[in-house]
Amino acid sequence: MKKIIYILLAGCFLTTACEKELDIENPNEPIVEAFWQNANDATAGVNAIYSTLHRGSISRWMPFYHIIRSDVGRSTSPATDIVNNMDQFLVTDYNYGNAYGIWNDNYVGIFRANQVIANVPSIEMDEELRQRLMGEALFFRAFFYYQLVSLWGNVPLMLKPSTPNDQPGTSSQEEVWAQIEADLIAAAEGLPAVYPDAEDLGRVTKGAAKALLAKAYMQQQDYTAALSPLEWLVEGEGSGIYELTSNYRDNFLIFTENNVESVFEWQFSENPTEFTDNDIETPNHNYGTSIAQFFGPSGIGWSDGEAHRWVVREFLNETTTEGERDPRLEATFLYDSTDVRGPEFTMIYGQTFAQRYGLENNRVWFRKFQNDHWKDGEGYRSPNNWRYIRYADVLLMYAEALNQTGSTGEAYQHVDRVRQRAGLALLSDVMPGLSEADFLEQLKHERLLELSGEGHRWNDLARWGDLGPELADRDPGFLTFDVGKDELLPIPAQEIDINPNLEQNRAWR
Amino acid sequence: MRQNVLLKIKLWMMLIPLLCIQKQLNAQNQSQVVQGKVTSLGDNTSLPGVSVLLKGTNTGTVTGIDGEFTLEVPSGESVLVFSFVGFSTEEIVVGNRQTINVTLSEDITTLGEVVVIGYQTVRKEDLTGAVAVITPEASKRVSANSLAESIQGLAPGVTVRNGGGPGEGASIDIRGVASFTNTNPLYVIDGMIADANPTINTNDIASIQILKDASAAAIYGSRAANGVIIITTKQGKEGPAKISASAKYGVQQIANRWDLMNSAEFAAMQRRQYENSGETIPSSVTDVNPEIDTDWQDEVIRTGNIQDYNVTLSGGSETSSYLVSGSYFKNEGAIIGQSFDRSSLRVNTKSKVGRITFGENLLLSNSFDRSPGDGNPFYDMPQMLPVIPVQSDDYISATNPEGWGIGSIDAVTYAWNSVAVNSIDSRRANFAKLVGNAYVDVEFTDWLYYKFNAGVEVSFDHVKNVHEYGVWRFNAPDYPSTINEERSRYSSLLFEHTLNFKKELGAHSINGVLGYSQQSSTREFTSAGRSNLMVYNGRYYKTIGSATGDAVADGGIPVDYSIYGYLGRVNYVYNDKYLLTLTARLDEDSRFGANYRQGFFPSVAAGWRISEESFFNLDKVSDLKLKASYGELGINPVGSWDYTAFINTNPRAIFGPNEDVNVGSTQARLANPDLKWEERVVKNIGIEAGLFRNSLLISVEAYDALSKDNLLQLPVGGYLGNLGGNPFVNAGSIRNRGIEAAVTYRSYGSDLKWDASFNITTIKNTVEDVGNRGEGIDYIQIGNTRTQVGRSIGEWYVLETDGLFQSEDEVLNYTNSEGTVIQPFAKPGDVKYVDHNDDGTINVEDRTFAGSPWPTLQTGAQFNVSYKQFSLNAQFVGVFGTVIYNDVRKVLDSYQRTNFRADINPWTPENTNTSDPRIGLDTEQGIIDNNLGNTDRWLENGSYVRLRNLELGYALPEIFMDRTGLESGRLFISAQNLFTITPYSGLDPDVTGNGIYERGLDNGNWPSSRVFSLGVQLEF
Repeated sequence: MKKIIYILLAGCFLTTACEKELDIENPNEPIVEAFWQNANDATAGVNAIYSTLHRGSISRWMPFYHIIRSDVGRSTSPATDIVNNMDQFLVTDYNYGNAYGIWNDNYVGIFRANQVIANVPSIEMDEELRQRLMGEALFFRAFFYYQLVSLWGNVPLMLKPSTPNDQPGTSSQEEVWAQIEADLIAAAEGLPAVYPDAEDLGRVTKGAAKALLAKAYMQQQDYTAALSPLEWLVEGEGSGIYELTSNYRDNFLIFTENNVESVFEWQFSENPTEFTDNDIETPNHNYGTSIAQFFGPSGIGWSDGEAHRWVVREFLNETTTEGERDPRLEATFLYDSTDVRGPEFTMIYGQTFAQRYGLENNRVWFRKFQNDHWKDGEGYRSPNNWRYIRYADVLLMYAEALNQTGSTGEAYQHVDRVRQRAGLALLSDVMPGLSEADFLEQLKHERLLELSGEGHRWNDLARWGDLGPELADRDPGFLTFDVGKDELLPIPAQEIDINPNLEQNRAWR
Repeated sequence: MRQNVLLKIKLWMMLIPLLCIQKQLNAQNQSQVVQGKVTSLGDNTSLPGVSVLLKGTNTGTVTGIDGEFTLEVPSGESVLVFSFVGFSTEEIVVGNRQTINVTLSEDITTLGEVVVIGYQTVRKEDLTGAVAVITPEASKRVSANSLAESIQGLAPGVTVRNGGGPGEGASIDIRGVASFTNTNPLYVIDGMIADANPTINTNDIASIQILKDASAAAIYGSRAANGVIIITTKQGKEGPAKISASAKYGVQQIANRWDLMNSAEFAAMQRRQYENSGETIPSSVTDVNPEIDTDWQDEVIRTGNIQDYNVTLSGGSETSSYLVSGSYFKNEGAIIGQSFDRSSLRVNTKSKVGRITFGENLLLSNSFDRSPGDGNPFYDMPQMLPVIPVQSDDYISATNPEGWGIGSIDAVTYAWNSVAVNSIDSRRANFAKLVGNAYVDVEFTDWLYYKFNAGVEVSFDHVKNVHEYGVWRFNAPDYPSTINEERSRYSSLLFEHTLNFKKELGAHSINGVLGYSQQSSTREFTSAGRSNLMVYNGRYYKTIGSATGDAVADGGIPVDYSIYGYLGRVNYVYNDKYLLTLTARLDEDSRFGANYRQGFFPSVAAGWRISEESFFNLDKVSDLKLKASYGELGINPVGSWDYTAFINTNPRAIFGPNEDVNVGSTQARLANPDLKWEERVVKNIGIEAGLFRNSLLISVEAYDALSKDNLLQLPVGGYLGNLGGNPFVNAGSIRNRGIEAAVTYRSYGSDLKWDASFNITTIKNTVEDVGNRGEGIDYIQIGNTRTQVGRSIGEWYVLETDGLFQSEDEVLNYTNSEGTVIQPFAKPGDVKYVDHNDDGTINVEDRTFAGSPWPTLQTGAQFNVSYKQFSLNAQFVGVFGTVIYNDVRKVLDSYQRTNFRADINPWTPENTNTSDPRIGLDTEQGIIDNNLGNTDRWLENGSYVRLRNLELGYALPEIFMDRTGLESGRLFISAQNLFTITPYSGLDPDVTGNGIYERGLDNGNWPSSRVFSLGVQLEF
């Protein structure tokens, strides 16, 4: 009997393995210390930065703040928070979620870039690849700060990988711009002008860094500094790389992505199996953009953002040399006369405008990054790449920089390239000898027609000093614009609450 | 035992002549012979072996096999005492009767009852901690998907809120909420730590004990802070094989519906709305199609049913016992497409070989949960417009090939067509589960036992989602059809060694347990899917293999952790009067960093049974005990590796002409390495009294539980770029205080037996600390709730309304102290808000506290009465003082893109005596302001009293048994949630809310169903 007991006891103790296992490794993910060992890690680290562009706040709400909030866009959404915060200037909450999301996602990108910038220099790897990867990371850090400084102005500068207890102070706009410039200059050094391997198509290039650098200088009205990178793009090496597509609309079709006009393009692709925009939750996330669903016309998409009719009228001021309507209008907007013959012929996602909305509907929807050219619906997974910097934009920037630095005469040719592609008469023919001020006014018109709905309008207006209630004539949303305040958004209040080193933008205190 | 009885009988036989002689000698007293029969009150069966004793003597007899007895008594003044284990004792004066038939009722006292308190059982009178015991007889009367749902209102201090839907668990809190992250109690099923969710069959339960204070729960240490529910399942009993069977069928209804407009009424009201706002009236209203008048509630609600069948075979010998039970439960929900069913098999056996007992308790269960894959019809049914048909050719389009009725630019609504959702999108979850334990019990000596217990829970889950092609909502995004299947396996293994001792030394009684416990849990999953389901002849092929689109796969091990614990408890009793319990547990947990893995959780409790004192002389009070306890408990709500930072490999970059997907890797989430357990310090005092021979039992407890180091995901700066949840920090603190009382009165007459129980619970939940959230911020704002230091979790923090503006003048005169018109956009008939900060405008700064979702009082009452064959049972639940945010009414009464309640009475210049604001479109700022979500307009009193269950039973008479060979039989009908008295305007005030912070939010909560059931219980 006793024997049995002893056997039993021994058996029990043995089978239950009394040694303790308290160090259980996570089989799903490596710990941070195990990473950043080789070139593959470095490349994957850089790829993660690109992935940030798929996140919903950047691929969807950030364009709202640049387009819908500007004078070309408006919102009649039943979601009044969108109308108040993104069309009008009624900030309902300093912690308004969609604005806060943009803030967060740009810093997510910065955190990712900072990890590369901090860790890649000490990896033993091919030097050329290292330079390139560092260039990509620096480019994106600058890109995300460019967005932050454009929307919020004075933001904390995070330049090292974050730790939970970091309490950075506010940096002034000047400091943020200086960092952007430094990063882009360094990025341009390391980045190739073109990638030899086709599989790298879509990675940022030297040209992209130069173009963004020019944008950064121009936003600070430093047109002289902007000349140098723009010269590289237009007169220098860039002139052999970039040109305008012959067909304007090729810049907005999924079949002609990364074309010769593309300087910096956000890469999107449809993932039919995704179930979230959160790119760290699962590999099955959305690497398309949901903006097309949110800009989609009523009956197709949410129509949370749409265009003002006055922009359509701007297109009608001038016909092509053939006497036809500016072809860019059709590429830019869906409205009752996207087809010049009117609502009975204008096709809106497989049905005529008249069928869908009748003959009396004045609404205008943005078309550029929609998918009506290949399907009759939208969704959250638009694969249509966002051409963030086109060569046409570069040419118009160059013209503007030249004009603002006293070389109006030289500026004409660059505007003419853009106009010519649209079939319009040369500016040097129809409006020769404009003064610097008049040329700038004309350039504003040119940029409006060429770039509407591509996300540059807000910064254009800001750079030109045009933001103000005067815009209410064309966009009643500006009735509530408070000069000296609404140029910038309030820093999310929670940021300041948890970090007393941060300061609210002066006008929002 | 039996031999002793025989011996007694023999002795008594020998004594009879002597007694007779004595009586003859005593001339004053005439002896007489009394005979009679003893039966049981419940089922009228005869009771053999009942002791019949002449009071004050050792003289007596026992009843024979037929329950009959014969006894000679000295005189008519003699008193006979009838007693039998498990039955009440009856004393009867003989008088001049010669036949005395006695009915004994089952024992109504709780003395001698043992209570399971974790790793040992103690006599209830020796208990020093706060333990609620729920009898399965009470809990089983309710048709419930889960154990938690079935015990609502049955025990003080236990708050149950019903999920309502098929297969949906109920939310259960024990003594309030003391964590910001996890409030679930620990379930222990036959010694195995495993969740008693709806996959566990409740019919096998033999006892339910709820450990509420630290003294009772400390033995479970780091997992006990939210309370412990110990479930013991039935065992076979010595005797020949017995079969018992039960069947129950009930119809289930949604008791309340929204009273909404039909299409004509809707069109008229919407016309008014557009006219008021000066907008073009949509064609759906100007040209109402008289043939379309959809009652969406009719389309979506159906009569559901609940079926519950059980068969149990049990029996045993002196050394072994067995119980095998099979059951099938099905709940066809009262909403289309929703159902849950569970088949289960239990095998409990026990064998004794000498000093060793082997046993196992095993449950196999297989459950299916079917529902649409998305949406909540309780939002969509009332909102959807009656002018939209369920389905029509007019709606056919590229993205809506089946023509489901949805909003359009003529009839704008974004409500979902729930019928379409049910048709297009389906989810089926299957949970195949094994839960059980096996043990070896060794009796070393009569006072020392060793037990090895191995517990296991393995669950194989399979969730299949199929999304056919189509849309169910206006402007909805276009998705391809998809199929996705996820298979996961959860396994948890528990090994325990315990040594129990029990020794009596004169007046000293000491018992206790020492032990070691280890548990490891893992979950792993794989999932796969594909887009573009194959369709032939209109039939969908619903396998991954037959789909033709892109494939997707995922998998991982999200859970893998171990806990090791050393536990001990000593109960010391002196002279049955003074009780002392010391308990401690040392736990180690792999889910913390190396420096924080150990935690120690001690408790001490003492009791004083005053009624045992010699000076205690109150006749009416048969039992009186005072008790007090103090202890510390823990809870760990974090995941397996939250203390470390990892590289996330989910990001993807798209490059190349073929849009190749490139892997990205980055640290996404920041981690705080210094995590440790949440700790709870619990003090408890209590008094237990039994009056009138324990027919009246009273128990009152008061507690104060302070939880500290609560784990919070404190917000970190967005500038850190953190993703995947804010890192945890031990920073919060919550206090729960309360009083619980339970009173039970039982009166067991011979034919009429009744008892009534009543319990009350108060909980004062106070947040003590929410961590450092920045300058001046001592609250957590979630939605419209604010969890603020000094207040309860989740109090409403909203704008205060002050009626409606009645005139233009009133709008203009409504100014702040500086004369600024506060609501310049308002028109007469719009809602007026209070400008609390007097800044001349209404904004978030004007919000104030406007009520708490916490009840001021919770009550439960049970009433049982039986007369002869009939029994009636009623259970009541009462909850008072809750404030609920009625989010569905908010949607309806905002009037925008929704159907209207039939009895709305919007303000007009002619109709000013109303609380409903004017009706208009939210193109006007005034209307937008009327519909602000953060206002008290949507708050309502959620108090209610509910007849939770009413059951009428009929026990089959003996004559019927004789004919059928049945041992016993019972029929019953019951009505569950028959009526509810409440001022709440939503479907059901019993809401589970949205997580811990928004516990008072009715976000389309599935209302408790009304169930009418018919059932039968038989024993062979």
